[in-house]
Amino acid sequence: MYKKLHSHIGYGISLFLILAFGLILVSLSSPNRPLQMIEVTIVTIFYIFWGILHHLVNHDLNVKIVIEYILVGCIGLSMVLFILKGGFGL
Amino acid sequence: MHSILSYFLPHENNNYRAKLLHHKSLLFVLIIIFCASFLIPALRFNFPSVLGISADISSQKLLLIVNQKREANRLPPLILNEKLSLAAVNKAKDMFAKNYWAHNSPDGKTLWWVFIKGAGYNYVYAGENLARGFDNTDSVVNAWMESPLHRANLLSQNYKDVGFAIEEGKLSGEDTVLVVQELGGQSLEPVVYNPPKNPVKNVASAVSNNNYAVKGSLISPLSLSSLINKTILYIFIAVFILDMIVVERKKIVRFVGHNTDHISFFVMLIILIGILNKGVIV
Repeated sequence: MYKKLHSHIGYGISLFLILAFGLILVSLSSPNRPLQMIEVTIVTIFYIFWGILHHLVNHDLNVKIVIEYILVGCIGLSMVLFILKGGFGL
Repeated sequence: MHSILSYFLPHENNNYRAKLLHHKSLLFVLIIIFCASFLIPALRFNFPSVLGISADISSQKLLLIVNQKREANRLPPLILNEKLSLAAVNKAKDMFAKNYWAHNSPDGKTLWWVFIKGAGYNYVYAGENLARGFDNTDSVVNAWMESPLHRANLLSQNYKDVGFAIEEGKLSGEDTVLVVQELGGQSLEPVVYNPPKNPVKNVASAVSNNNYAVKGSLISPLSLSSLINKTILYIFIAVFILDMIVVERKKIVRFVGHNTDHISFFVMLIILIGILNKGVIV
């Protein structure tokens, strides 16, 4: 397991940086909700592409994996929409 | 029991992938969350007393907490002034009408002190604190106290009077609660501290003893939606971690997405919900 984690460390750091950068952007854009929604969407798209790219590089990409990343990304986006629309009435 | 566990733990019955992580379950969760984001505004519209946008914020409680902070810093309490309260209400209404969130309007035509002058308060010193998106009085005052400029306003010896407005409305299409605090002093002499004979120790009891009406709804929709989302995210994170551990121990080879990616993404979402929940001050 540790060996596996070690081999993915570069990818893990880059993903962490993308997500951290997204968080900083959203935080700086407060209280502009529409801009925050756009930023979260961009970060989610990056997350999906980054995940797919990683599997592509590892030669283990298939349609099911692509769908999984899209579904997880969409769950994240719908949660933010839920907070912004349900909580504030965007 | 076994079928319930198969939703959370990888097993030969679920093809060594917790059922909750199967595409069908992910799609189901996605549809539920998406529908809920439309259901809550509908509930808020039909049951405003249960799901309103405002929370536990009131002028009286703001005054009490601000005066407690001043007393702790050996400053005399501020006196609620009707003219400054009117100025605060007018300022909040102006922000909603012209759709801005700042001390001065974006066109530069409406400066913040115009409302104080307009309300008939002749000041020598004046100040303004603004807050939005908070769901209780303590967090508003705490946010002001943590900001050096707002803190300086609250703890200034130049101010004797204060006025508050708590107004609900739409700003950039978003339902929000604005808190406006206008501060004023009509004398060049700094105010002098005289220790009170019977200091107020408990804000909550002081508010209820005085029968002050505390504005609010039973449930804040922002808190409700945050709670639901956070719970779902924690469950998913736990299932992803369990899945990783079991699969690694049993040395099962699968072609699925990396759980660590999904966990990182969901952790980011939890932090994000915290950021979106936070009110802002200017």
